[in-house]
Order: sequence, then structure tokens, then C-alpha cells
Amino acid sequence: MSFFASKNTKFRTQGLKFDSVGFVTGFLLLTLLPVLVQSNNYILQVFTHALLLANLALAWNILGVSGSISLGHAAFFGAGAYCSAVLSLEYGFSSWFTIPLAGLLAAGLGLIMDLICLRLRGAYFALATLAFVEIPRVITDNWDELTHGSLGLVGVPGLPSLSLGTWSVDFGSSITASYYFVFAYSLVLLGLVRFLFNSNLGLAFQAIREEEIAAEAVGIPANRYRLLSLLLSAYFTGVTGACYAHLVRYIEPGLVYGLHFSAIPMIFAICGGRFTILGPAMAALIIYPLNQFVFHPLLPAGHEFLYGVVLILTVLFLPAGFWGSLRKVS
Amino acid sequence: MKKISKNSQTVFSPFIRLSCIIFCLTLLVLGNKTSFSATIKIGEINPLSGKLAKQGMEIHQGVEVAIAEANEAGGVGGKQLKLISRDDQSQPDVAISRAEELCGWEKVRALTGGYVDSLVGPIAAVAKKYRIPYVASASLQKELVQYENPYFFRVSRLQGFVEPLCGILTERFKPQRLAILHSATPGSTELARDLEGCLKANGLEVKLIEKFRPGTPDFTPLIGKLAGMKIDVIVSGGFSPDHILLVRQLKENRVSLKAYIGPFGIAYENFMRTMGEDANYLYSTCAWNPGITEPGSEATSKSFVKKFRQMFKRQPNTTNMHGYTSAKALIAAMQAVVSNGQTLTGDNIRLALTRLDLEMPMEHLVFDQNGDPLHYRHVVVQVQKGRLVVVYPPDRASGQPVFPMPSWEQRN
Amino acid sequence: MWTTAVVSGISLGSFYILMALGFALIFGVTRNFNLAHGELVVFAGYVSYWLWKVFAWPFVLTFPVAILATLLICLGLQRLFARLCEPLELNSIVLSFGLAILIQNSMLFWFSGDYRLIRIPTLSRGLRLPGFYLSYGQLTLLFLSLTVIAILYILMYRTYLGKALRATIQDKEAAAQAGINVAVMGTLAFCLGAILIGLAGPLYGCIHYLYPSTGHQITLLAITITIFAGVGRLGGIILAGWILGLAESFAVILYGSSWREMVAAVLLLALLAFKPRGILGKGEQ
Repeated sequence: MSFFASKNTKFRTQGLKFDSVGFVTGFLLLTLLPVLVQSNNYILQVFTHALLLANLALAWNILGVSGSISLGHAAFFGAGAYCSAVLSLEYGFSSWFTIPLAGLLAAGLGLIMDLICLRLRGAYFALATLAFVEIPRVITDNWDELTHGSLGLVGVPGLPSLSLGTWSVDFGSSITASYYFVFAYSLVLLGLVRFLFNSNLGLAFQAIREEEIAAEAVGIPANRYRLLSLLLSAYFTGVTGACYAHLVRYIEPGLVYGLHFSAIPMIFAICGGRFTILGPAMAALIIYPLNQFVFHPLLPAGHEFLYGVVLILTVLFLPAGFWGSLRKVS
Repeated sequence: MKKISKNSQTVFSPFIRLSCIIFCLTLLVLGNKTSFSATIKIGEINPLSGKLAKQGMEIHQGVEVAIAEANEAGGVGGKQLKLISRDDQSQPDVAISRAEELCGWEKVRALTGGYVDSLVGPIAAVAKKYRIPYVASASLQKELVQYENPYFFRVSRLQGFVEPLCGILTERFKPQRLAILHSATPGSTELARDLEGCLKANGLEVKLIEKFRPGTPDFTPLIGKLAGMKIDVIVSGGFSPDHILLVRQLKENRVSLKAYIGPFGIAYENFMRTMGEDANYLYSTCAWNPGITEPGSEATSKSFVKKFRQMFKRQPNTTNMHGYTSAKALIAAMQAVVSNGQTLTGDNIRLALTRLDLEMPMEHLVFDQNGDPLHYRHVVVQVQKGRLVVVYPPDRASGQPVFPMPSWEQRN
Repeated sequence: MWTTAVVSGISLGSFYILMALGFALIFGVTRNFNLAHGELVVFAGYVSYWLWKVFAWPFVLTFPVAILATLLICLGLQRLFARLCEPLELNSIVLSFGLAILIQNSMLFWFSGDYRLIRIPTLSRGLRLPGFYLSYGQLTLLFLSLTVIAILYILMYRTYLGKALRATIQDKEAAAQAGINVAVMGTLAFCLGAILIGLAGPLYGCIHYLYPSTGHQITLLAITITIFAGVGRLGGIILAGWILGLAESFAVILYGSSWREMVAAVLLLALLAFKPRGILGKGEQ
């Protein structure tokens, strides 16, 4: 273990310095964004969604860091979205309560997935996750009494409101407020990811990823740690799905369980850098707004091309991801 | 790749350079905001990419024809109309961003377009916030008009499909063993539910209701089930590709029916051409088609077809007409506002829309207090010898339905 | 009803087998996951459609051209895959996923989103047998799938080349040490895979319909069958295809069409949980 520790300290310090600068710059820009753009709703709206996707990518990467690539995170996303939407729309609970609960449901699904995929590794695990999405999807689609089935849910309540004494803010009613809500969530998630990376837990994840058998030999129970990373990843993906439902307010099974929400976090995490803390978030915050502001008006039908090209170039030339490569040369 | 020196300062250079480029590009695009006051801006959001790209593009083309026609006739109040078109990529979050862009940034006077309710709904919410009227080109579900939104109007609704289907089934066909199949999408599911309700109220029993996922690769076991239950009439709420497969597999398995009714996706030239002879005797519903138009609107219909062919070099279909109708409604409302001497604000246009009474090829357009089109009603058509023949309601029928359909053996 | 279920299950299974073979072969030999497999099948279908529709070629003659076109693309693909570094399987997933997006959007651009169908009237005719009807289309699928597997079997088990391929599938490093040129085996696998894909494409166009986005479904199918069968087992593929086809057919009759996709998923997951080596495998990894 001490071998791991010493090697990592050096790498950690250098990378951390780079990360810190990047983080501070990003934090300042994002905190001041509403002021910079004079509360332009359009720009804020795009960045709110970019932050949401960044959260999705960060959550996905919690699993990615322990070496497992999942192609079926939409299962957690959709389950979280529906759980929170149904509880708040049909039963009137406040979103403060339903959003964390949605995460728990998604984590429960993660537990089931782990039990099924216990002995699977690598590509087989990835494919199992791909198949797994169908289970919550078909159940949601057919359980008409609870979820309205294929009709989808219309008019899901918005993000919750907060009152402290005389001051209150409804996060669902203004775009600026929603933006800060999602931003705050990003900071929490980022903090957790950073803690994970730098802790012994993170080291264990890394050990499992790099060389599982050797890790087992040193006494790291791979299955247990993978389960932990999967549970955390599923929980936060579920919470992100719930936030999505409250932001967009119209969901249907085909949308929230679709391949789009399985692929996007993977694309951002890989392009940003699977082995970095900030990478996935950076990729989301750069590529998505770029797509919406620049590529979209210029070539409306070509935007999907962008994702494909970025993915191919990254995997061929920058296997450590954009952010990861920048870190490496420092 | 060029070797970057180990000096941590220069490491920032590529990063900073890249972010500067992105920043400048963004400013360039955003700064390109159109802001001539000599034009009237109308916004339009359609799925132009993603899985609904085809239909979204068709709505867009219909809207373009309406705008072109109006501009050639001098515009509204002497000003030309400028159409600002955006793509929602078939994703609700992008639809919301585009709506914010058009309403808040571009400050359009009105919005139109839209294809499915999961995209139309979010756009309507944004339009309400900015008090900009939104006439949706293709919204169907009931729930969209149940949330009070005085700025939301639409030129279509599901009732327009359900009523004629219910009518022809209960009055003409009277099937003994009816099956309703539908796709796992909101619109199709609601159609199946409403149709079943209407039929039950009229004393007609539905033997089987089944839901399948759009794009199912094989219907043979379902067909076996239908044959085993001796189903005589099928109403299939799938879309063109599902009909392509289902009808062909019915033929392959020699399962003959008295009637096959597909409300969506059949009454299109493209479908009939792809299917060839196999499309014969299929029933569908049709809001409009060249040749099938609201009585009294033949001239408008003909001029629309002519203009469309001139602009896009092919025959228009009903989806194009939905886009055309929604845009025309907006233009007519704007003209009413201008001729009353008022300014073109969102509220004035909205008021004019509530009072609108417009003869269109697709329908006699009048909105009720929820924004629903009061007189939107399809006719039932049957494909006969490669052409669409209106068979119901009797006052619009141009021919008799061939009922029951000849069996597959007879047709070979 | 039940005879139709069995017949449809087997013919559907045969269809699945033909779609999956190219993928299974490429994955087995090179360990490259080609997530763009479905898009390639659709591409081959479009080539065939274009020749059949625009130039009025007889359908059967379009197959060689479709195969040739796919061959060219697959060789290009192989060059790209060869540049990947470890971990091979995961990186190939990501690379091919990006390629799938590219190919899909190119096809959307070139061929538009209209649904295309290659209409062969003969396939709709058939034989009326006691209890059910068997169309020539279903017969063709069954016949083709068995023939192709038979040819592959002869190739893999009765020729020296096949032996080399099988050795590479079993253990790449050992095969290399035994003197087999693993790189050439990889190219060969891609070529064979391309031929199979080129065969599947036009079939897909006439049995199903062509649409730029259907590729993803085909890929999913191919992956399911390959994993089901266990890597490198030919017999396993037939069994896998038929079992899946039959399971789906019976699921539709028993539970309704809305549960169809879940049945396939549960089946695959159950298999992965209990028999990770595939249906003919010997248990644990």
C-alpha cells in the first residue's frame, strides 16, 4: 500500500495544482455567469442543462473510475426521474423530499444490477448494463396506474422552494434560481468525487481498475468496492434524473430511459478524461454549450456528427481525455 | 503532437487559446442577433434532427410556404415577415432553450411549429411566461390544454381522429371482434384509450388491446394471436414503418381481415409508393390531401399545392398542411390586429387568435376557450387502386368502402 | 396459435442469426466490439436498395456489390481498430460507438429519413401447411441461416485456415507463439465478417425495412446473440438465435407485445449471471 501512496502523492500534487487552477477559474466564471450575461435566460438555460449533464457525467465516472464502463445508466436516470416525478405530481410531496428518495430508488436498482453482474467484467459487464435498461423501462411503460405508462407525465412540479425566515426563493420559478440550484448540486458532487479520488477509497478503486487480481491479493475485496462505486454512481445518476424531470416537467419512458442518457455521460467522461476529477464536467461544460450556441445555428442537422467525431478523435489520439492529457503534460 | 514544455506556465497556453477561441465564436454567434425593426419576427421550433426529423422538416416546409405567400402579398401592415427557425433536436431540454432564445433573446412576436407533445408542452410553458402566443402545428394530447395557458393554441387534436374512427366503426363496419393495437408513445396510447372509450359508449366491444414498441422487428407472434382470436378488424395506432411490417406480415401469414385501419402514417404518398399493391384496401384518417379538402376551400388548397410544388418540387402532404395552417392562423391574427390600428403585441395577437374564424383547406379554424380547434375532424379514407378515396362521413365521401377487404388469396 | 408461435420463433431466430454472425466472428477473433455493426448492415441494405430501385438490378445481383462495399469499409475500420491501445475491448466499444454515430448521420444525410423497402413479391407467397402458413420468406431465412452456418462450420473445422482462426479465438497469445500470424487472422476475420454483414443488409431491407436509425437495434441483437452463444461457438449461435426467437414469440402470446423487450433482456441477464461463458459454455469464467 505504501508503494501506491508514494507514487500517487507526486502525481497527485502536480495534477492537483492544475486541477485547482482550473477549478477556481471555472467556479468564478460559473458563479458570476448570471451577472456576466445580465440574466439572459437563454444562455442560463443552456448552461443549466450543461451543468446537469456535467453532473450526469461525474456520477457516471464514479463507476468508471473503478474500472467498469456502463452503457445503461439511463436505467438509473429514468428511474430517478420517474420516482421523483410520480411522488411529487401524484402524491404531492415536496421535491426536497422526492429528489433524494429518487436517488435511493436508483441505488436500489444499482444493487440489483450488481447482484446480476457480480462475476462480469469489462465488455461483458458493459453489455449486461445495456440489456438491464429494459427492465425498469418496460415496467415503467406498462405500470399505467402508477406512472401513466406510455402517456408520459405532463406538468411535473418544478424544483423546490426554500424559505429561511423572511427570505424565500422558489428554485423552480426563475431560470437564475434553477441555475444556482443545479450549480450547487454540481459543487456537492464535485466535492464528493474529489474526496473519493484522494482518499484511500479512491486508491482502492484505482487498484481494482488497474489490476484487479493484484488488488485482491493485497486484500482489497474487488466485488465489494465495485458495488460501492456502483451504488454511489447510481444514486447520483438518479438524483440527476430527478432534477431533469423537475426542470423539463414533461417526461415519458422513451425519453428518460433512452440511449441518449446512457451515451452522453460516457461520451463526456471519456472525452474529458476518465481518470480525472474535473474531466467529465469540463467536457460537458464545453461541448454542450458549444453544440447549442455555435454548431446548432451553423449546421442544424450536423450537431450529432460533432459528438461522434469528438469521441473518435479522443479515443484514438487522446486516450486520457482532453483534460487528462493537459494534466499529464504539466 | 507538438511537445509542450514542462514549464507549467506555458501549459495554460493551449487551454487559454482554446477557451478564447470558443468564447469569441460564441460572442460572434450570439452577437448576430437579428434586430431589424422593419420586419416582423415569427419564431418556429421543430425537430429538425433526431428521430422526428422527417416530420419536423415537413411542418417547417408548410410554415415556410405560408410566410412566403404572405410576404409576396405585401406582408403584414406593410412589413415583411421574418421566419426564425430553430431545431429542438427532438429533446425537451433543447426545446426549452430554443424557446428561451426565440422569446427572450430574439423577441419574436409569435411562435409556431412543434411536432410531439413532449416537445410542444415545454415550449408552451415558456411562451406563457413571455406572453407570446404559440400556435402549435401538431399537438394531440388532451392534457396540454388542461393547464390554463391562454397563450397556447393548436390546429389539431386527438378528438379529430377519434370521432370519425368511432363513427365508421359503429355505423358502417360494426366488427364482431375488434382489436386495437397501438404504439408505446403518448399520442398513440391516448388514441387507443379514447377510441376504446368512445366505442364502449356506443356499445361496441373491443376484444384485444395491445401495445408494441415502435420499430418492433417482428409481428408474427402477435399475428398468430390475432388469428387465434379470429379478429376481424384491426385499428393499428402505429406509424408508417409499423404498418409496413404489420401489413406485409399479415399477408405473409395469410391472415385475412375485413378491415385494417391505420390512423397515422398511411395516407401519405410515400407510404403508398413503398407498399405498392399491398397498400390497397387499407383505411386511414386524413386531415387533408391534395384533392381531399374542406368544402369551399378548393381554391386555397390548389394554390397551396401549387406554391409548395414551386418551392419544394414535390407534392405536399397533410403534415405540411398542418404547418401551413398554424402559420396562416398567426398571420391572419396579426393582420386583424394591424387593421384594427393596434400594435403587434403578444396580448393583442392572442386576443385576435381567440376571435379567429378562418376557412382553411384542413378545417374551418376556430379556437375554443382552451385553444383547441373546434372543427378539426379527419375523414376516413381507403386506398383504392393506389389512390385515396374518402369513405366517411357520408357528406364528404367520394366513394364506397370496399368492405370486407378481399382476402390475400383472392388478391394474389 | 402455438404452431405459428413456434414457426415464427424459428424464422425470427434465423433472422437474428444472420444479423449477428458478422459481429460474432469479428469479436471472436479480434476481441473488437464493433458497435457500428448495425449501421454497417443498414448501409449494405441501402447499397442494395439503391441498385435495385434506381438501376433496376435483380435483387440477387445486388448482394455481391453490397458485400464488396461493406468489405471496403470494414477494411478501413480494421485500420482504425488496429490503432487502439489497451484495454482493447472497452476502447473498441467507444471507438465504434463514435463511428456508429457518424455512419448513421451520413446515411441520414445521403438517403433521408424515409423508410425504404425492397419488395420481393415471391417471398410473400408460400405453402399452406396443416395449422399454419409458411411463407417463402421464412423458408429462405431458415435455409440461408443453416447454409451459412454450415459453410462457416466447414471453414472453421475442416480447413487449416479455420483451425488457425479458432486458435486465435481461443487464445491469441498462444496462437501467436504457435506461429500463427495473428494480424492476418484479424484481417481475415474482418473480411469474413464484412461478407456476412453484406449478406445480412439486403436481407434486412426486404424482410424488415431500411431506416438510418435502425442500426442500433441490429447491433443490440447481434450483441445479445453473441453473448448468448458464448464466444466462438458456432453451434451456440444457432441455439441462441432460436431460443431468443422462440422466447420472444411465446412472451408475446402469453404476456402481450408490451413485455417483449424485457423478456429478451431478462433472458440475457439470467444467462450472464449463471453461465457467463454462453449457452454451451461450461459454467463459470
